[in-house]
Amino acid sequence: MADSAQTKERKASGQIVTKSDVIYRILRTVGQSALYLALTAGAVVAIIPFLYMISTSFMTLGETITRQLIPEVLQYSNYVTAWNEARFAKYFLNSVVITLTTLAGLLLTSILAGYAFARIQFPGRGIIFSIMLATMMIPESVLMIPNFLLIRGDIIPLPGGSWLNTLQALTVPFMASAFSIFLLRQFFATIPYELFDAARIDGAGHLRFLVQIVLPISRAPIMTVFLLGFIGSWNAFLWPLLVTTRETWRPLMVGLWTFVSEAGPETHLQMAGAVITMVPILVLYFLTQKQFTEGIATSGLKG
Amino acid sequence: MATTDTPTTQVSISGKGRGQFRWEKAKEAITGYLFVAPAVLLISVFGLIPIGYAFYMSLHRWRVRKGDFKGIENYTDIIGDWKGLLFFLIGVGLLVLAYWIWNKSFKSISNRRLIVGVISAFVIGAAGLSLVTGWNRMLTATTKDFLPSLIITLYYALGSVPLQLGLGMILAFLLYQNIRGKEVFRMIYFLPYVTPVVAASVVFRSIFSPRATSIANQAIGLLGITPQDWLFESKPIMELLFGWEIEGFLAGPSLALISIILYGVWTYVGYDAIIFLAGLGSIPGELYEAAEIDGASKMHQFRHITLPLLSPVTFYLSMIATIGTLKAFNHIYVMRTPSTLGTVDTASIVIFDTFYKANQFGLATAQAILLFFVILGLTQVQNSVFGKRVFYG
Repeated sequence: MADSAQTKERKASGQIVTKSDVIYRILRTVGQSALYLALTAGAVVAIIPFLYMISTSFMTLGETITRQLIPEVLQYSNYVTAWNEARFAKYFLNSVVITLTTLAGLLLTSILAGYAFARIQFPGRGIIFSIMLATMMIPESVLMIPNFLLIRGDIIPLPGGSWLNTLQALTVPFMASAFSIFLLRQFFATIPYELFDAARIDGAGHLRFLVQIVLPISRAPIMTVFLLGFIGSWNAFLWPLLVTTRETWRPLMVGLWTFVSEAGPETHLQMAGAVITMVPILVLYFLTQKQFTEGIATSGLKG
Repeated sequence: MATTDTPTTQVSISGKGRGQFRWEKAKEAITGYLFVAPAVLLISVFGLIPIGYAFYMSLHRWRVRKGDFKGIENYTDIIGDWKGLLFFLIGVGLLVLAYWIWNKSFKSISNRRLIVGVISAFVIGAAGLSLVTGWNRMLTATTKDFLPSLIITLYYALGSVPLQLGLGMILAFLLYQNIRGKEVFRMIYFLPYVTPVVAASVVFRSIFSPRATSIANQAIGLLGITPQDWLFESKPIMELLFGWEIEGFLAGPSLALISIILYGVWTYVGYDAIIFLAGLGSIPGELYEAAEIDGASKMHQFRHITLPLLSPVTFYLSMIATIGTLKAFNHIYVMRTPSTLGTVDTASIVIFDTFYKANQFGLATAQAILLFFVILGLTQVQNSVFGKRVFYG
């Protein structure tokens, strides 16, 4: 790569004319090949676990032990077995409901709060905002135990008694996120005041302005909040593990873990299970790929 | 919220009287409070009040149900020896002092540098002595797993953060060159980051399995190394590599922990690369052009343009990565095996076990609060030592 960089530089500054064209071309080819070789090596390392997982998920038990590279006959039945044995149908539906419920709440609270922190004047706005931001520093392990007691109804009486094994326990604590509020506030703050003044003269209040004007032009940051929230909710493990002692609302990740810790050495079924849990995330990723990486890159840069 | 749409809005805009204006302001404030209320309520209930409650719990014997008030006994059990902690903190203080002296020396006149250097070397020596003495006193006195788990967490952080940032930066540089298929590479590198941690950890359990045919063993087989036990190996790395049976910190992490570190690096390199790439893209091209005209070599350009201008991104990523390793839980929980004999149990894992398996809620919250202070202290140090060197635009 150093070669390619140097040759490019020389070419730019005109020094390359003194060298023979052949040497230049060789150098460039070598440099370019090294560059692509390194990039490909990185890509291979990133992708091998996926290939391994997919390949193994189609093997027979015997093939996983002798460790063939590719199964002789594709064992589609592994997926059926894993799906049924691990009761994935139920967990999958649970995860979908949990994720969508959480996202609905998350989007509602963060859009409203993000807008208010950016555009509405009210006493204590700065202080409340800073306190919200400060909560991002608190590690989950500090909050986990008191929240567990809270959900069980030990600290204050909850509507409907203990929330263990309920949908509320899995969704309500994640329906607000300081990071999402921050992200949206930063974007809303860039919307010119003139727009708002114009809307006000037309008689629109904050809510109408937010819904009719702000939201349509804020698709990108809202999408980022949606995607981050989706990943967070779908991939959640520790909290659901604590609050789902029964199957009723157990999500997919906890289901996969119980399946894996019970399935023992049946690698092919474990891999089939892993594929099943990944599919929604990967589909979402490939569909929104550009927005996804760009959203996360910019949100990272701003943080 | 709908009240904002009432005709009074229009009346006040046309400007009729002070009372009208005041009512307008009050209404604006009420709207604001209503807008932030849901989020503030949720964050307070699940993110703010629990901190206070955790502290309250940590002062009690609390085995599933609340028991007697114990004062700081939980903390004493964890720390073992308060004098040890004092020595340790004095050591930290001396290190900060040495850093401060060293910094001053660069600003002072050159003939004093030698003296200042000697002084700061002396202070560093004293700091090291104090740190080690304090730490050992605490370690011998403690009856809990928390302090040893901090060492494991430190291994984990030291093993994964520099490696992941370094590789991420290299990948970002390669991607930044004028290449074809950039989008495809970027998409592939980012893939591990979005993959569900539990599912990926299940795959890596199999990759790092002790079977002779596992991918990890086949890979080291290419280098002529005999198959290893990977995630099942509790022996420290120094013993495996060189046969040295050292005690204490220098023995290094177990091979099982190294397998977990490799998984962590696999997950985050792509994420770091994407953010570095965005950072590289925001460096103005004119700077490089100007440097090229002045005859600066690529190395010089890297050293004096890229690194300084990329430093906010590096700083941000190193903070995120360090905090992330200190809080890491899911993949370690899924990948750990009983035969690691606690050599992969980082602080978060120990807290979880104390809480979930041993049902010692009070002790677990005390550990969690101490972990929070460790995180706070480390980020403070990172901020004061590296934060100043970060070059913002």
